Amino acid sequence: MAALALLVLLTVPLSADPPAILVSRQLAARARLAVGDVVTLAVDAGGTRGRQFRITGIYEPTPDPMRFTADRLEARLHLPDVLDLTADPADPASREAVSAINLELAGGAKPNLFASDLMAQAPGIVVRPTARSATDDPFVVLDRFHVAISVVTMVAGTAFLLALMVIRAEERRETVGILRLVGISRRTLLASVAIEGLVVAAIGAAFGILLAYVSEGLVNRVFQARYDTALVFVRVTPSIALRAIVVAAPLGILAGIGASWTLLRREVLTIFHR
Amino acid sequence: MTSFALAWRTAKRYRARTLLAIAGVAVIGALLFDMLLLSRGLLLSFADLLDSSGFDIRVVSGEGLAARLPIADSARLADDIRRLPDVEHVLMIRIEPATVLATGKPPRGISLIGSSDAEQSWRIVKGSSLGSPAAAAEACPVLVTRPLAAALGLTPGDSVSINVRPPGVASALPAVACRIFGIADFAFATNDELTAVTTMEAFRQAMGGGQPDADLVLVSSKPGAPPGRALRAIAGLRTSLRAYSNEDVVAQFNRNGFAYFRQISLVLSSLTMVFAFLLVATLLTVSINQRLGEIAALRALGIGRPRIASMLLWESALLVGGGGLLALPLGQLLALVLDRILRQMPGIPERMHFFVFEPRALAIHLVLLMFTAAAAAVYPVWLTARLPIADTLRREVLG
Repeated sequence: MAALALLVLLTVPLSADPPAILVSRQLAARARLAVGDVVTLAVDAGGTRGRQFRITGIYEPTPDPMRFTADRLEARLHLPDVLDLTADPADPASREAVSAINLELAGGAKPNLFASDLMAQAPGIVVRPTARSATDDPFVVLDRFHVAISVVTMVAGTAFLLALMVIRAEERRETVGILRLVGISRRTLLASVAIEGLVVAAIGAAFGILLAYVSEGLVNRVFQARYDTALVFVRVTPSIALRAIVVAAPLGILAGIGASWTLLRREVLTIFHR
Repeated sequence: MTSFALAWRTAKRYRARTLLAIAGVAVIGALLFDMLLLSRGLLLSFADLLDSSGFDIRVVSGEGLAARLPIADSARLADDIRRLPDVEHVLMIRIEPATVLATGKPPRGISLIGSSDAEQSWRIVKGSSLGSPAAAAEACPVLVTRPLAAALGLTPGDSVSINVRPPGVASALPAVACRIFGIADFAFATNDELTAVTTMEAFRQAMGGGQPDADLVLVSSKPGAPPGRALRAIAGLRTSLRAYSNEDVVAQFNRNGFAYFRQISLVLSSLTMVFAFLLVATLLTVSINQRLGEIAALRALGIGRPRIASMLLWESALLVGGGGLLALPLGQLLALVLDRILRQMPGIPERMHFFVFEPRALAIHLVLLMFTAAAAAVYPVWLTARLPIADTLRREVLG
């Protein structure tokens, strides 16, 4: 990659057949470029070694979460054109230099092993697998951070649910006493509050998933507009939805049982303050 | 009886639900407090790190801080800067990737720093500094970071050979024999960074002779010098260079490197606020619905609407205030855990923190909770204000 100055051609006579380039959507918007326009690229703003190119396409840069705050003012050229433009005329070897080479290994080859072999054979070059390891991937750390935040939110949600279930249990104190008097067992009543807790938690989780699903588009649109990127910031996947329900359901059951336990374990007459 | 006393009695009577509501608010309040600490934590920590280095101006090539290209004829530039009346101290730095080879160990890639001053920007934790008489007599004295010392089992007195490998050029620079003089903590080093620092003279040898240009010139202004005057004077020396004050560097970091945490802090602060509001408003509403008869009886006894409204506001304040106070120590504890998680991120200097306390965060936390308490009481107050006393009492008796 090279940093080049872009000079939009206005009065300079056109080359016979300028080479083709692609420009990023952001660059096209910023410089008001369209397909078919001819532009001059140079190594500096003074127009040093400037060459003309014809824009044959406008592309959306691959979203990169590591660079989502960066202005993606980019152009894609054929490698010989970049070398023509950037190579130092006084240094013939500079036409042989590239900043990176991407490799696709044959099936079964181990990237780390290949990297260490190549570095041993060609001192001075750095070979890195494109897949990040858990130790140098910032998104693994962010994932842990989000899980921690989820746990805290879940604890607060459980306290909330428990408080609601306690109020519900107090509300039904006399009803529970009457049900006990007519012969309905503690186990049946406990099962009923567990089911109630489960239903409340499941409906809450489903509503939360629905809210997340509905707000997903809004959040993405706001941040995509804010950072001028096609990056997807929020995505509610089936596995996330399932995880939310799987976590919420047992918490709901526990909250229901926990809130009613003090009421149900009492002797029936004490429920009526006798 | 005052409205506060009535609210206090209600809280005591319904102890379990009060404690659970306070626990819920405490947990969610802790998260809110942490998000407020996160909103500027990294920025404050970064500014503190910059200020603690003792330099207030950074001069780099025209490509800016991110590119860090060598500054042409940097030695003369440093001399020119030294002659400025507001300048106290100038330090030249050059960083290049290198390979270090220790006896019996495989070669390791490191960052080699050449520094024009033997005593700056690091803290010796073992051994002696580059300014010691023994180090001064050595051709290539070196200090290493703790991770590098641990990775290669290095201690002061050990010998290593260092091979500089400038990026982007085919290079066959010879290895230089160096001796470890100390193990040091570097202000901006990450917790896994393999770094070695040596004198500019030794760096010159490692680069194959000649005068290596610095890629960073650090400047400290004289105490009492008018703010910005040294910066303007330095910027005027060469228009092709860029000079940044610490505030400029922090502002640039704020624009480019901090966006994610600022956004997540904003989103989570808003969500926790809504969550706390819903929690308290729902509990108060459900509780009021359960106590409609009791409230109608209080009204029948002559307690007016304003006192009932005030009682509900106090109930809300007790729940939110109790939870909010507990949220502070809980938030500090949670911040330690979350900070430990986030500091595992690659490239974060060891001394930087994501959650940094500042009085502003505490003030915002308290204001937001007060607002939440007031907002959560609005609907229950409205419910009780339009409560028909006779009908409610009659329904209670029949029920």
